[in-house]
Amino acid sequence: MAVKIIKSKNFVETDFVESLAEVPVEEYKPWPENDKLKIVGKPVSRIDAYEKVSGTASYTTDKFLPNMVYGKILRSPHPNAILKNLNTEKAEKLEGVLKILSFKNCPEISWYYDTSLLFDKNLRYQGDEVACVAAISERIALEALKLIEVEYETLPFVTTASEAMMSESPKVHGWGNILDGKPDTYVRGDVEKGFNEADQIIEEEFNTQVVVHNPTEVHCSLANWDDDKLTIWDSTQAIFSVRDTVAASLKIPSSKVRVIKKFMGGGFGSKLEAGKHTIMAALISRDIGKPVFISVDRKEMNLAVGNRPDSNQKLKIGVKKDGTITALSHISYGSVGAYPDSAGCSWPLKTIYLCPNVKTEEYSVLTNSGRSRAMRAPGHVQGTFALEAIIDDAAEKIGMDPLEFRLKNYAETDQVFNVPYTSKKLKDAYLKGAEIIRWKRRNKTPGSQNSEVKNGIGMATQIWWGGGGPPAYAALKLNRDSSINVFAGSQDLGTGTYTFIAQVAAEVLEIPVEKIKVDIGDTDFPYCPLSGGSMTAPSVAPAIRDAAEQMKGKLISAAAAILNLPEEELMYSQGLVSSIKEKDKKISITEIVSKTRNRELITNGAREKNPDGYATNSFGVQFADVSVDTLTGKVKVNKIAAAYDIGRTLNPKTLYNQIHGGIIQGLGYALFEERLLDRKTGKVLTTNLHSYKIPTIKDAPEIEIAIVSQFDPLNSSIGVKGVGEPAIIPTAAAIGNAVYNAIGKRIRSLPITPDKIIKALYS
Amino acid sequence: MNDKSSPRKFSRRKFVQGVSTTIIGSYVLTPGVSKISEKLEAETKEIASGKKPLNLIVNKVRYELMISPETTLAEVLRNELKLTGTKLICNHGECGGCTVLLNGEAIYSCQMLALDAGEKEVTTIEGLLTGEELHPIQKAFVEHDGLQCGYCTPGQIIAAQAILLKNSQPSKEEILTGMSGNLCRCAAYPNILKSVLAAAGYLTEGTNR
Amino acid sequence: MKFEYHQPKNLKEAGKYLLLNNSIPFSGGTDILALMKDGIVNPDHVVNLKTIDGLSDIKFETGKGLSIGALVKIKEISQNQMIAENFPVLKIAASEIASPQLRNMGTVGGNLCQRPRCMYFRDDFDCIRKGGGTCYAFEGFNKYHCIIGGGPCYIVHPSDLAVALLALDAAVIIYSDGKQKQIPIDDFYILPESDAMSETILKPGEFVTGIFIPELKSEARSTYFKFKERDVWDFAIVSVAAIIRKNNGIIEWGSFAFGGVAPKPWLDNAFNKSIAGIRVASGSIENVVTKAFDNAQPLQLNSYKIPLVRNILRRVITQLSA
Repeated sequence: MAVKIIKSKNFVETDFVESLAEVPVEEYKPWPENDKLKIVGKPVSRIDAYEKVSGTASYTTDKFLPNMVYGKILRSPHPNAILKNLNTEKAEKLEGVLKILSFKNCPEISWYYDTSLLFDKNLRYQGDEVACVAAISERIALEALKLIEVEYETLPFVTTASEAMMSESPKVHGWGNILDGKPDTYVRGDVEKGFNEADQIIEEEFNTQVVVHNPTEVHCSLANWDDDKLTIWDSTQAIFSVRDTVAASLKIPSSKVRVIKKFMGGGFGSKLEAGKHTIMAALISRDIGKPVFISVDRKEMNLAVGNRPDSNQKLKIGVKKDGTITALSHISYGSVGAYPDSAGCSWPLKTIYLCPNVKTEEYSVLTNSGRSRAMRAPGHVQGTFALEAIIDDAAEKIGMDPLEFRLKNYAETDQVFNVPYTSKKLKDAYLKGAEIIRWKRRNKTPGSQNSEVKNGIGMATQIWWGGGGPPAYAALKLNRDSSINVFAGSQDLGTGTYTFIAQVAAEVLEIPVEKIKVDIGDTDFPYCPLSGGSMTAPSVAPAIRDAAEQMKGKLISAAAAILNLPEEELMYSQGLVSSIKEKDKKISITEIVSKTRNRELITNGAREKNPDGYATNSFGVQFADVSVDTLTGKVKVNKIAAAYDIGRTLNPKTLYNQIHGGIIQGLGYALFEERLLDRKTGKVLTTNLHSYKIPTIKDAPEIEIAIVSQFDPLNSSIGVKGVGEPAIIPTAAAIGNAVYNAIGKRIRSLPITPDKIIKALYS
Repeated sequence: MNDKSSPRKFSRRKFVQGVSTTIIGSYVLTPGVSKISEKLEAETKEIASGKKPLNLIVNKVRYELMISPETTLAEVLRNELKLTGTKLICNHGECGGCTVLLNGEAIYSCQMLALDAGEKEVTTIEGLLTGEELHPIQKAFVEHDGLQCGYCTPGQIIAAQAILLKNSQPSKEEILTGMSGNLCRCAAYPNILKSVLAAAGYLTEGTNR
Repeated sequence: MKFEYHQPKNLKEAGKYLLLNNSIPFSGGTDILALMKDGIVNPDHVVNLKTIDGLSDIKFETGKGLSIGALVKIKEISQNQMIAENFPVLKIAASEIASPQLRNMGTVGGNLCQRPRCMYFRDDFDCIRKGGGTCYAFEGFNKYHCIIGGGPCYIVHPSDLAVALLALDAAVIIYSDGKQKQIPIDDFYILPESDAMSETILKPGEFVTGIFIPELKSEARSTYFKFKERDVWDFAIVSVAAIIRKNNGIIEWGSFAFGGVAPKPWLDNAFNKSIAGIRVASGSIENVVTKAFDNAQPLQLNSYKIPLVRNILRRVITQLSA
């Protein structure tokens, strides 16, 4: 099939990324509704489930190579210090120690957008890397870390954004603590005018906490050299970006680096970048000629591999008596930790509700703490918590039902880019969700129940991107036994990538899913984007379809040659090419392949381009039903009703599971999770899974899900939108609004812990 | 234990005699040493360095090892026996990833010294399979998608097995309590519950959403 | 983490090993192993008590009371029918501990001797409890710390069993100097003002061999309320063990103990005295409850524990006197 190269602009996490992409010239007709399909949209069991339930799935932590050695990292115990001296003599003498890497013997490798080095003498947070020891066992490496003598010059430090904003505060870097020296600003219309037109103006301040991804599998890499070729097994969401970072850091061509990830124990955004440990493993391995495995431990997971930044948000909303929003303004401060990242959280406020006058200022502030990284819907989770609270408060102020208020301010088009959406079924989601939760039960007067345990219902809206786009490619190989191999450089984080790829190929070729063998997670395969930003399915699925459709074309073409019939006279169905006119003239895949010279057929598929002049977003709403024990301040989430427009459902089994997961993580964010930093010492207090509380099975609420969309008719020929991030975005906000509805007191900071509720109720 | 008959009991090996006799279904692991004389020498060295003999019965196979006393059961399973289905997630008894059965009861293998598991029967996720055939609980986790990334899954399945070994008809509350010592960061909890309910026979096939 | 592992066959041998320099008793290991991995506790000698016979029994003698060996697993207490019938407070406390796996591993002795969960103690802060000069929690993050009995260290004692046992007026049996002796549980635990580096009176060579609980009058009703942030697998923010005897609508006698409020399981004799003789239906309960902990000295972030403990008292008394 003919292809062309285009400039493709996609939303990746928080930024537009432009890249060149090869896309098909012709595009396929979108599939019809799922009930007309045979395999896509059906609850197919994960094709990689056997490995996972049997314990045979080989994660990076489970990989053993002959002669492999173990690396452990020494980290700064201080929030801000200069490394004055480092003596590794004693450690080197320990039996079994093979190599110690530090600023003394490591080439200068730029890190964190050129603000630091792989080993930098400026240590800007508790956890910054000081040295790395490789030894024949992990225990020896750990023992050696203790023998390294380090002299630090400790410096004053800042731990909070508000402190860091003060002019007299210590600077994390020489150039000041506000990233870019100014906020990221957005203006639409005239907010002053908008507020003047309002009948009511509400101003509120919200705070959200730092939370940590804490995926179950720790960050780890295994590096092995074979001559000048480097292979890295890595627990990563982005094999190609690891490959490119490693190649650039080691100053070797990308083609010399192969990154493999077959299974991984979760990422949630923390594994979208190459880790320093990956580079260290590659360097040491090259030096000592043995495979090197470096993993971090749970404490390091909570110090040094990313987090969701906190936020302090000041919101102002102007409304008319009839419910029209006249103006919205938002100022946010978020601490990104010691190195550049983004802590902005204004996006939902810019787009969800119809409003001509909007102004936002997002400050990303540096502090002496672990750097933030993208975490499942970066910015949106924080921003939505505050926005959806003030929306409820505004509705209450003018005496309007919160759902009615949201419908009144429904935005039909994307207000930032001033373009229509490829699809938007949020209204259907609102109505469906309200029906499931039985919205009418909510307390008309918040807190009015006269009981020790009070119930409440709240809702919150979600918007995210998730349309994916090119470039994304896949290769398909048809074997003689009519089985199929699919090769794509995508990643399965537990989201079901393996399975939907098999489903899409099986759907097109009308063969059983079991016939498709999916190979992903390898940079030797065709390029696919990183698995983040809810873009895997919408980017990869259409490329699979293209490869499979091309295969169908090839089969017909081959059959035409074999049967001596014109192609137009042939049709493909369920592994057979047959003549439309003469029914007995037919040939099977197996026969076709065995008659072709190379005994296999190969096609390459590509993701088509996104339509010009449209925005693709996912939409959804969650309704929370909670009970608040007013004696103890404990919040129990009884039920979450979730209604979503995420385009086409590829697989309800994995889709519902992923939505459950987002909701329960959102519940953890709303009620328990918080990275605590000791203000006096700048050290993290929550360094284990007891003090950092993530939800258990007993905390999980009843969840009822409704998908209100059939498929997005314009975004791609598959019409799927990603759901990873949409699932978590509105949960905390819905729970917060439900708590307010129950007790009549607004808790404006997360997490909503019992002490805060008790303080609100009893003081 | 399992539906199969209980494994043979083995007598404690007299490690000072050095040379081990081969028992079918057992392994003597002294890493990196092959010849008997070298082995003897290595063992002597190990004893001098504080290593102690450990007889471990894992998935009905006996292993004879020399280990340092501080070695945890999880470390032996993963590093020595390469039974990597057992995962180390927190290494502090705070997550459940390393759950194995010890004499039929769920425990955290990261918080148990391997020496304390000597002569007891350890069952790991690998021990649930019969050949390549999945155990009914494992099948239920596949059918009801009781997992996402799969990393905590072996621990979850072993915890489920511990519940069902004690009580083939647990209530939903008993299942929730029994599974409460196993964190799942992907939070596949609703499907984990469903999988255990199915394994207990409460769900029929087809109710897979 | 490197140590010699001793496997004594009897109490005497264990006592001997425990007199070795830098030696610790070891049973379930669920707490101490984590502390050793983190380098908070660094013993040279670890003495495995599990090899000692006779410490794994639960025995009830009518007219006397209940003896529980130090090696009895938490799970056994939570599932023992006799305990469920006679000492519900103990059964509930045991069921509320940690997770199923930890209840299968953890022992009574270990639960009583577990170290505090203070995040400063558990991490690399050179705090008072580790022999340093500062209590970082005092002016730091002290939301989970004590509201009474603190200074110079402000931990709360994490054991649930200890709180139930305190309300039950139990004794801890310890091995000391060649013999076993009973210590009232209130005397077994100490406040930081007497020794900030230890939670108990245990000296080198001593260890817990069991507990003894005097028989309760049959009409007594008891319960344990553990309030935690996460639904399961969490330590108490505040817990209350409560036993009352009621007759004709009057609480004749009450024994309450508190967890999560003080560096040791907390007994308030004045409160127990004031609850006796109260008519359930009257407003007197409210009078007593609102006075509970009025001598508390909360830190910056934990004053919420005062209304919380009073509210839990209200709930527990209402439940038991229903």
